[in-house]
Amino acid sequence: MNNNHAHPNNAQLVYAHVLHWVSTLGIVLVVFGFAVYVFELLPLSVSIDDIAGNWHRSAAELNHQFHLPTGWAWVSDILKGDVLSFASVAYLAAATIVCLVAVTGVFFNEKNVIYSIISILQILVLVFAASGVIGSGH
Amino acid sequence: MFSTTSGKFFGSLMLFLSVLLVVSPQVVLGAEAVPAESMVWWVWVLLLFVFSFFLGIVAIVAGVGGGVLYVPIVSSLFPFHLDFVRGAGLMVALAGALSAGSPLLKKGLAHLKLALSMALIGSVSSIFGALVGLALPAHIIQLALGCTIVFIAIVMLRARKSEFPEVTASDKLSQVLHIQGIYYEESLKKDIDWKIHRTPVGLVLFVVIGFMAGMFGLGAGWANVPVFNLVLGAPLKVSVATSVFVLSINDTAAAWVYLHKGAVLPLIAVPSIAGMMLGTKIGAKLLTKVRTKSVRVIVITLLLLAGVRAIFKGFGI
Repeated sequence: MNNNHAHPNNAQLVYAHVLHWVSTLGIVLVVFGFAVYVFELLPLSVSIDDIAGNWHRSAAELNHQFHLPTGWAWVSDILKGDVLSFASVAYLAAATIVCLVAVTGVFFNEKNVIYSIISILQILVLVFAASGVIGSGH
Repeated sequence: MFSTTSGKFFGSLMLFLSVLLVVSPQVVLGAEAVPAESMVWWVWVLLLFVFSFFLGIVAIVAGVGGGVLYVPIVSSLFPFHLDFVRGAGLMVALAGALSAGSPLLKKGLAHLKLALSMALIGSVSSIFGALVGLALPAHIIQLALGCTIVFIAIVMLRARKSEFPEVTASDKLSQVLHIQGIYYEESLKKDIDWKIHRTPVGLVLFVVIGFMAGMFGLGAGWANVPVFNLVLGAPLKVSVATSVFVLSINDTAAAWVYLHKGAVLPLIAVPSIAGMMLGTKIGAKLLTKVRTKSVRVIVITLLLLAGVRAIFKGFGI
């Protein structure tokens, strides 16, 4: 692979292209999800007043008080306005994984062993974090 | 200090932020636990949006990441628990990095291979940082955050910058990882060759940076850029752009921990993201109209004030 030119290489351009679309969609989703939430276009799992009345408490206390699901348990409540808004924020945290999957394909095609391994390891780290294996629960 | 109308506006804004931090926030905004009934929720959300908007302007003009200003200042001035401020801070830094990443990669300023090499190890440590940060009592985190913010302010005050650091020979590891490149320097109208050295030292430093970013929910541009620029020897523009890219990976790892722990409230995170992103766009237009060096000094002062206040809160004062 040739790095020695002033123009970005193919892998970099693919990452940039995917990132552009994924992040643009992310902003749209976040705004849409928030509008659904605050205008209560869908029923809520916890009222906004209850959240606002307790946002000075720690995350653990708030989750305990309202029996909020941790990890991926919120997926089953996706048609609730607050959960939909939460999901749109979570989408932003998934954007990088999508880009990395795309660029790993490019490294594979270029038979770039080192960066294929690095990008696969990076995906595994992020998927591990996203899995909730270490993060969920209190 | 400020030569234009927008400059005067900016000066007033900085003064307003300073006063907010110095005057007791209980009086100004109500930083301690405020009963929900004392102010309707949407007023807080609107205030947060407006505040994040101005913070976005300040951040871009001062050349610092939004996250590093957001967490200490919002945790001082708003009634939200530090867990949610850190969760929102991570999402603010992540959203900013995602939206800025694509053009930087297309221009060849951000370097994919340099970023991937450093982010892999940094993202692992940011997960551990997030876990530790959410497990420790809030007053300990406040204290550690305060000390870290004061440290960051000192680093920003003292750190030198090198436009084109001299790297006589690249190290073995960077050769194996093919970390080198050329970018077009607009100001000089020519291509700039660059390579890096001291890669193993850089990797160790990114472990520390990742841990701190995850623990405090801070964007880590304040640390990424000096390490890329002064330790590894990458040109300043490549360092700044690649830092944004590394931040998007490291913050992703930590953000998932905060999301799974229920430490991200859309009611706090979304207005902050929207305000900060709008503010940075306006700030970019103001860049040519204000003296960024002076603004930077004021921002460092703001950080020092926020850091000291966090230390006091950590001691329960």
